[in-house]
Amino acid sequence: MTKKLRSVYIVSFIFFVAAIGYMIFSGISQNSVYFLNVSEAIAQEKKQPLLSARLFGTVAPNTIVHPEDGLGVSFALEDAENKTQTIQVQYKGVVPDTFDVGSEVIIEGSMQNNVFMAKTLMTKCPSKYQKENREKNA
Amino acid sequence: MTQAAHLLMMLSLAVAVLGTLHCIMQLSRAKTFSAGLLEKANLAITFCYIIASCILFFGFWSYDFSIKYVHDYSDLSLPLFYRLTAFWGGQAGSLLFWALCLVLCGAYFQSTETYKSLSQETRTWYLLFYFTMLAFFGVLLTTYNSPFEVLSPAPANGRGLNPLLQNPGMIFHPPLLLLGYGGFTIPACLALAQALSGKKDSETPWHICTKPLILVAWLLLTAGIVLGGWWAYMELGWGGYWAWDPVENASTIPWFFGTAALHFGFIEQYRNKAHRFHTLFMALTCVSAFFATWLVRGNVVESVHAFGSGGVGPILLTFVIAAAVLVFAVVFQMPAKGSPFNGLETKEGFLLSTSIVLITISIIIGFATLWPVISKLWTENSVGLQAGFYNSVILPLLTVIIALLTFCPWLSWKQGLTHGKYFLAVLLCFIVFMGVFWTVFSVKLPLALIAASISCACMVSWTLYFFALKFPIAKLSPVLVHISLAVMGLGVAFSGPYKTEQEVVLARGEEIAIDTFRVKLLELYEGRDRTGRYEFLEAELLVTDENGQKVGIAQAQRRIYASFPQNAYAEASTIFSLGKEFYATFLGLDEKTRAVVRISVHPLVNWLWIGGTIMSLAPFITIYAMKRRRNENSQEAQNG
Repeated sequence: MTKKLRSVYIVSFIFFVAAIGYMIFSGISQNSVYFLNVSEAIAQEKKQPLLSARLFGTVAPNTIVHPEDGLGVSFALEDAENKTQTIQVQYKGVVPDTFDVGSEVIIEGSMQNNVFMAKTLMTKCPSKYQKENREKNA
Repeated sequence: MTQAAHLLMMLSLAVAVLGTLHCIMQLSRAKTFSAGLLEKANLAITFCYIIASCILFFGFWSYDFSIKYVHDYSDLSLPLFYRLTAFWGGQAGSLLFWALCLVLCGAYFQSTETYKSLSQETRTWYLLFYFTMLAFFGVLLTTYNSPFEVLSPAPANGRGLNPLLQNPGMIFHPPLLLLGYGGFTIPACLALAQALSGKKDSETPWHICTKPLILVAWLLLTAGIVLGGWWAYMELGWGGYWAWDPVENASTIPWFFGTAALHFGFIEQYRNKAHRFHTLFMALTCVSAFFATWLVRGNVVESVHAFGSGGVGPILLTFVIAAAVLVFAVVFQMPAKGSPFNGLETKEGFLLSTSIVLITISIIIGFATLWPVISKLWTENSVGLQAGFYNSVILPLLTVIIALLTFCPWLSWKQGLTHGKYFLAVLLCFIVFMGVFWTVFSVKLPLALIAASISCACMVSWTLYFFALKFPIAKLSPVLVHISLAVMGLGVAFSGPYKTEQEVVLARGEEIAIDTFRVKLLELYEGRDRTGRYEFLEAELLVTDENGQKVGIAQAQRRIYASFPQNAYAEASTIFSLGKEFYATFLGLDEKTRAVVRISVHPLVNWLWIGGTIMSLAPFITIYAMKRRRNENSQEAQNG
């Protein structure tokens, strides 16, 4: 490889890395959210308001309320391990088919006045049935 | 019988371990090599896996709920087809299926003429890597993830298969990926073997020996990913075909590595260069399949999918790290050969750039998926990345790839253009398409505009290329693959940013407008499936266009499956169109028995499936052409 050719490769590679680096950096700064379980979210909320987060937890029993008008649901989300830690969640939108007491859910949104306003609500699927069924049989 | 299957698994583990040791002993003495015994051992392992798999199939077929795995993933009401395919419905079964694919590929490869032409030393090295892999599978299948655990006493009925998995798309999606993983393992082992065996120049290089396997593995992986997208679109109603979920991301990582390796393969085959890169990335394709499995099954990151992990995480990760270190060590000691690369503006340069961009994409996806774990290093609470990250980083890079391959056909290997006029014509096409999309279709998003126009230019470019070469059959498959990639690019450029979605509440006879459609609720029905598998509630929607012309009738259902009575599942209904596809999901009834329906319109979405189908089938043409050429050659040899 001639010296000139080598420098062409090196310079293009540097440009490529710089461009990718910039894209990744701006992508990360615009699209980062906290990934938290319920107890982490409660701890975090005490320090500073939780403005954008994705929470993981299970739907607590006897807390599901469907609004009378239209779509949505409100419920308490409990920590998958420590059942005493819960967060009240309000969600407007389509409730997924597999949403039920005890289902593991993923919600995205922000905390307002101690209620988590969820913009999205997803239930874990499709292979979770193994665990879900085990609980039911027990 | 279950015990017999378990014993077969133990036996195959033992043979694989002994085989590995035997290889090491031979290679450490390094005088004369003989792979004959090892090949017989391989056949014995293959036999064990086939019988064990048959036992599991038979268990599903005969409702043998004493096998825990059969009990967990099927029940008495499940139709035969889904019962047999429940084989890979869970973790242990899919691992067994992966291993089965691997041994079948191995046994096939061992029976080919090209394999028999390899030196004994190369064969021994190859079998060393291959047996190590099998030993690893053996450990997993006999300890952490045995599909042959017994329940005693046998329950009367099983738990049933998740209704979401009872769909043809889902049935074929996992085995296609696993077959692909299995297929890539053989060339990877052979590449490393030839790197170590001091291959003579007379020996056929690994990428020629295993070309059919590489192509089949690649097309199966492609088909698996596309089918996964189609299934998510049709069945899940997650609002699209791709959500950048960790599990989806994981499945693409080996594909990008494999595709990059394939392109390094062209450089090696035609230019006799880049053999170290080629070896490295083929081997890493195989390693990345295990990395993807670790990502999915090791409970590393929270995903919408969740698998019973069975504690395989640490052992998989250890294997991946060890294998990656080994691969780099092997490649590092390979001697350099061939002349240095030509300039970036040549065909070589473009192939190299394409491969590098593909690998970059794969690495970014890997890191971004692991971001919640990585970010823990400096923050207390983990931070993850939303879909927006991938859309703003990966989609531009994919557009760059389409741009590279649009102009690549017209570059010569060394310097300059082969067909200057065609090159200019393609460039002109790109500019014209930009104008058309901007003015006629008012595509104003920069990325969508560039991606759509470059995709169209790419289709023109490869069609012209085929024309310029005077239609050689051997080139048909790369031409089709690249055209179909551009077709998919066009589909994504429109269906991604220009999807419309709305949730509506409709009373009987009520009509609403969405996008260019008018939708009217005709009737609501209740009913039961003929086999009694589920009950359904159906909303019948009349869809007309702006001029009142009937577009079609959508029958969206909500189903309650007999074995999963606690939940209702939506069965979406679409009205097929090559332009804007109408898509309706029936979400339920409100208190006034009005239908709550989610309606979405997906422009050009079907081009994704059309492109994906062509892409997955086209490589067969190359395999056919290769076979024909070989037959011709052997006939000439006989006649001459």
